[in-house]
Amino acid sequence: MNQVWMDVVIPGFCGMGMHLKLDGFRLVYCVVAVLMWTVSGIFSREYMAHYANRKRYYIFFWATFAATVGVFLSANLFTTFIFFEIMSFTSYVWVAFDERSASLKAAETYLAVAVIGGMVMLMGLFLLYDLFGTLEIEEISVLADAVMSGNWPLQASDALSVAAAEGAAVSAAGQTAALVPQPQGAVTAYSVIGGADGPTSVWIAGKLPELAWSGSTPGTPGSFFPTAKAQLYTAGALMLFGFGAKAGCFPLHIWLPKAHPEAPAPASALLSGILTKTGVFGIIVVSCGLFGADHSWGLLIAVLGLITMFVGAFLAVFSINLKRTLACSSISQIGFILTGIGMACLLRSIGEGNTLAVRGAFLHMVNHSLFKLVLFLCAGAVYMNLHKLDLNEIRGFGRKKPALMFAFLMGALGIGGIPLWNGYVSKTLIHESIVEYMEAVGGPWAWRLAEWVFLFTGGMTVAYMLKLFVAVFVEKNADPKLQEQYDGMGSEFARKHFSSGNGKDAKTVRKGKGSEAKDHKGAAKNSAAMEYQKPIEKLHASEAANDAHHVYMRPETTAALVIAAAILPVLGLTAHLSMDRIADLGQEFFHVQGHAHTVAYLSPANLKGGAISICIGVILYFAVIRGLLMEPDGAGNRRYADRWPSWLDLENLIYRPILQVALPAVFGTVFGFLDRYLVPAATTAFLTVSTFVGRVMDSGVDWLVRIARLTTHKQVPAVKEPHDSDLAAHVIGGVIDAARAFRSRLPWKRREKLPVREPATARLVRREEQFKGNMHLIQESFSYGLMLVCVGLCVTLIYLIWGFLGW
Amino acid sequence: MYDRLLAVPVFLPIVAGVALLAMNGWIRREKRERTMQWLVEALVLINSLLVAWLIAGCGGRSGSLVLFRLYGQLTVMFRMDRMGSFFAGLVAFLWPLATLYAFEYMEHDERRPAFFAFYTISYGVTLGVALAGNLVTMYVFYEMLTFATFPLVMHPMTTEAARATRQYLYYSIGGAAFAFIGLVTVLAYSATGTTGFVPGGMLDPAAAAEHRNLILFVYVLAFFGFGVKAAVFPLHDWLPKAAVAPTPVTALLHAVAVVKSGAFAVLRFTYFSFGTALLRGTWAQWIVMAAALVTITYASTMAVKEVHFKRRLAYSTISNLSYILFGASMMSPLGLAAALIHLLAHAFMKISAFFCAGAVMHHTGKNYIYELDGMGYRMPVTFACFTVSSLSLMGIPLFAGFISKWSLCEAALSLGNEMGGGAGGAVGRVLPYIGVAVILYSALMTGIYMLSVVVRAYFPGVVQQMKEAVGGGSDGKAAVIVSQGKSEANQDPSWLMLLPLVIFAVVIVAVGIHAGPVLRFLALIGGEAG
Repeated sequence: MNQVWMDVVIPGFCGMGMHLKLDGFRLVYCVVAVLMWTVSGIFSREYMAHYANRKRYYIFFWATFAATVGVFLSANLFTTFIFFEIMSFTSYVWVAFDERSASLKAAETYLAVAVIGGMVMLMGLFLLYDLFGTLEIEEISVLADAVMSGNWPLQASDALSVAAAEGAAVSAAGQTAALVPQPQGAVTAYSVIGGADGPTSVWIAGKLPELAWSGSTPGTPGSFFPTAKAQLYTAGALMLFGFGAKAGCFPLHIWLPKAHPEAPAPASALLSGILTKTGVFGIIVVSCGLFGADHSWGLLIAVLGLITMFVGAFLAVFSINLKRTLACSSISQIGFILTGIGMACLLRSIGEGNTLAVRGAFLHMVNHSLFKLVLFLCAGAVYMNLHKLDLNEIRGFGRKKPALMFAFLMGALGIGGIPLWNGYVSKTLIHESIVEYMEAVGGPWAWRLAEWVFLFTGGMTVAYMLKLFVAVFVEKNADPKLQEQYDGMGSEFARKHFSSGNGKDAKTVRKGKGSEAKDHKGAAKNSAAMEYQKPIEKLHASEAANDAHHVYMRPETTAALVIAAAILPVLGLTAHLSMDRIADLGQEFFHVQGHAHTVAYLSPANLKGGAISICIGVILYFAVIRGLLMEPDGAGNRRYADRWPSWLDLENLIYRPILQVALPAVFGTVFGFLDRYLVPAATTAFLTVSTFVGRVMDSGVDWLVRIARLTTHKQVPAVKEPHDSDLAAHVIGGVIDAARAFRSRLPWKRREKLPVREPATARLVRREEQFKGNMHLIQESFSYGLMLVCVGLCVTLIYLIWGFLGW
Repeated sequence: MYDRLLAVPVFLPIVAGVALLAMNGWIRREKRERTMQWLVEALVLINSLLVAWLIAGCGGRSGSLVLFRLYGQLTVMFRMDRMGSFFAGLVAFLWPLATLYAFEYMEHDERRPAFFAFYTISYGVTLGVALAGNLVTMYVFYEMLTFATFPLVMHPMTTEAARATRQYLYYSIGGAAFAFIGLVTVLAYSATGTTGFVPGGMLDPAAAAEHRNLILFVYVLAFFGFGVKAAVFPLHDWLPKAAVAPTPVTALLHAVAVVKSGAFAVLRFTYFSFGTALLRGTWAQWIVMAAALVTITYASTMAVKEVHFKRRLAYSTISNLSYILFGASMMSPLGLAAALIHLLAHAFMKISAFFCAGAVMHHTGKNYIYELDGMGYRMPVTFACFTVSSLSLMGIPLFAGFISKWSLCEAALSLGNEMGGGAGGAVGRVLPYIGVAVILYSALMTGIYMLSVVVRAYFPGVVQQMKEAVGGGSDGKAAVIVSQGKSEANQDPSWLMLLPLVIFAVVIVAVGIHAGPVLRFLALIGGEAG
């Protein structure tokens, strides 16, 4: 059944080209996507009617549709990644839609998980691409088989099979002309065609021409990794992280319980029903494609699946918020699917046929999409009327609303794994696969435990769905007035019979479910016709009247919901006719081994598992939920208590501290330090040192002189000279002074008034001191020394010249 | 004839700019600014068309034109080879649009003639760097670029601007000194006796092998010397400071022309002068690669911490420039091609982001990111373009940034493979893988620092969240603020600003979706030079 209806290659798209394919698995999921978007689209019309930002919502609603379908159609992990990222970003707008602080916080979590997951996945893709030189899903699985079987680098025979796989892909795309398989020696599936596009271009078997420029040489393991196997495992683990984050796999499930309650209900239905499945899609590609026969990988996935299913269900039992419970339930159901995938790998690794596991996992994927569509839309119906989701507040809302009850009940019975509904079929298959593996390996206690975890989780599923159903549809609200108001919100049909027609007379209208729905549809048609005939000015009046006894859901919305809900039992009842065929379509994608044999779903052995789960569920409900998780509210009623300790939140406990405190603290401190201190300090240090060195060099000659004066030119301490050493001055001055005195005493001069003059001796003494000081300075100075040296040199020179001339 | 024309696009804007400076007083006295502006635009456009014609006409041959000899073998020479035509084409595409944008941005400015004069001169000088046929010419124009652009940084004439200018000058001139050492060494060991660019390097292998460590040391010096303009850590500090300049300058010069000239110069002398054969697998390669990686990590972290809109973008520029340098430091054909594709992609994304920031600043006077709540509704087109460039910077598929980051990572991994044989020692074995991890880390940080702006602009509920977090302010008040934000009239700028923005956004998406032709062209460059 590996039929391919469509195979499109768009070379050059985003650099590496895009490869879309429509085979059985992808067909099923495209149909599911179309169905889900149609139903939620119809539902959105009413749900979104009162929001101002409708336009934004619808744009991103359909953009996400395109991206999601793109993910499911992709036949190349590169294409998958492109659509996956687009999907993450467009769906962000859903979560942030309300712009309340809670939604923005949830959106932040969602975006952080999506971005980090995307980056990690991208790293995995790089490693994979580095190893294989291609990201075509079919090719990498062949190449991975070679790596896992130790047949790496490729031998000729394997190269042929790769070439064949490529040939299949290429010829389907109508590009056979470029195919050049050259099976000789190792790694010959790749042929190098030089010249055409420059010397380095490597064409990988002529596949997508855009690969040409890459020039990377596939086939050699990355040097960072000791073996190709190690690199493949690393790549696989990184991709598992990325896809697992989207799927909601433990421990990356944190975004689901936050984002789902905050997003508008139709968006939550899609987030939970199908966006998580894109993650599962990736996990299938990695698990079944790359590590399909690897025991340890299978074990990893199975254990992760078991933990995820248990944790999710456990959280759901404790939750007292309608949409949060459903979100936790999604985590749990994803766990079921992962367990199925893990079992598929494990069974293949021991050489058994893994049909049961594959079909179980695939059918549970499809089923879960359908359950969550119905259940979240029911929650949406509650929310759009009450704008509340707390179980204590919405308690009793669903009473006397048969359409809503029908839809919710179908979803609950389906997800609870009740026989005759579709969930039972897929859960039974997964359960059987666990049993099969357990028997094959001799039934060790660990696998018995796994089986019981599985059954117990099934029980918890029953318990929390029972909790929701009883709270919304069976019990009455603690506040009688509120209950009356809720009862008044019946549909047009119900109002006619319940509220206006002396409401309590319920027995008269209890009919079979089918006829009820039919009647309802008739009523819907009538009321719709009436709506259109009303003149516009009366429309407001009628809306005001509607507020008095408000219609809780418009007819077309009701119809969409009921039809979507009706699919579940129909699938369950015609399991061999419908579900087996769906499984036939999809199983090839999982690289299934062994032959499908018809499973008698309602055989006693299979029913036993379901029965055990249901019994556990009922016991849990009465013992734990009604016993431990409810408390008296003081007015004689019992209310649902939030017993989950608020500090116990993986995100707030671990991830946020790491991401928001530890990482910024480390990087911020390091770089803040660099920025604030290190660079300026380095600059300052550099300037200081260079200034110092510069100054030192500037004053280098001074230092030379200084050192010379201290050593070679050391000054002799001045000899103490006698004070009256100015002999010449005294002698000459005395003579002059005596002469002056003599002259002044001459008789013909006596009458003249001669100016009083300084004695010549003093002046001469001063002059002599000055002269001697100068002589001292000159004699002691460096230049005088140099001059003397010069004189000496000159004398020597003259002597030499004289000597030469003389001789 | 064709070869002679090569000098025209370089000197036409320079001459025109100088003439504009000479007529500065007359223009202002006669109030002919508007005429002057349109003449400038016409001139820039004609010049760009001329460049386009030259690129189209060059075909396979690479004509060259020796303008004059400085001394001996030191010639000023232009040549149009593939790599030069790539950068010249990029610059020629952006300049007319940026000039158009500058009309509206500078409409209230006092000294418009001076601004446009230097803006036009820078155009010619940048083309000079792009078309330089040898290392000497490139060095000359590289120095000239510093002097042609510093008046633009100083344009606001504030103390802050003066400080930034001073720092810019110190760093650039200092860096050029180191680059000069590289120039001299290349000339000394040249196999041809000239510094003309030869794909694959032109050092004399025998002579170079003798003084291998010396040449490697000089290479590292020259890398950091030219790296100053490419803002490599620790020589990056001038770039965030220079964000005081008018936005057309920050956007075109400090996101494209000047900084890309630095990166281009690094690519040129790595692949066309020193040659990769000599450098690959040596300690010099690991040093420069480590420097690029440190810069990426550092700058993307600092961008998260920065709250000033333009400075945050400036830090983002630093980190993205080092992506290019990371590609350059791979010394492989793939590395060169990846560096060039990132050069192209980043040019468009960052100029677009800066122009959006400028439009916001010009029309609302908002400089800080926390003031941007709800702006997405008031300036719808501007913020649509900003969102495109943010997503592209993050590396989201469908946008150009994804292509370039993918190419870089692919090149890094293939280098890791190549070094597996032990050619690069222990460091070489690990460093390329660290490089990939660093790029992903940086992408995450980019997500934080760009998307936080986008989220603020489109989901003004954040206001409310902040109010709640503070504890003050009632919801009603916040709601009023939000509704005000939404109800205010459309404040989008006029077509002068919007046209460039929209064109850039279209190019980003076009390259992101159909990158084949560009990648093939770049593979040719990588093939001949790597």
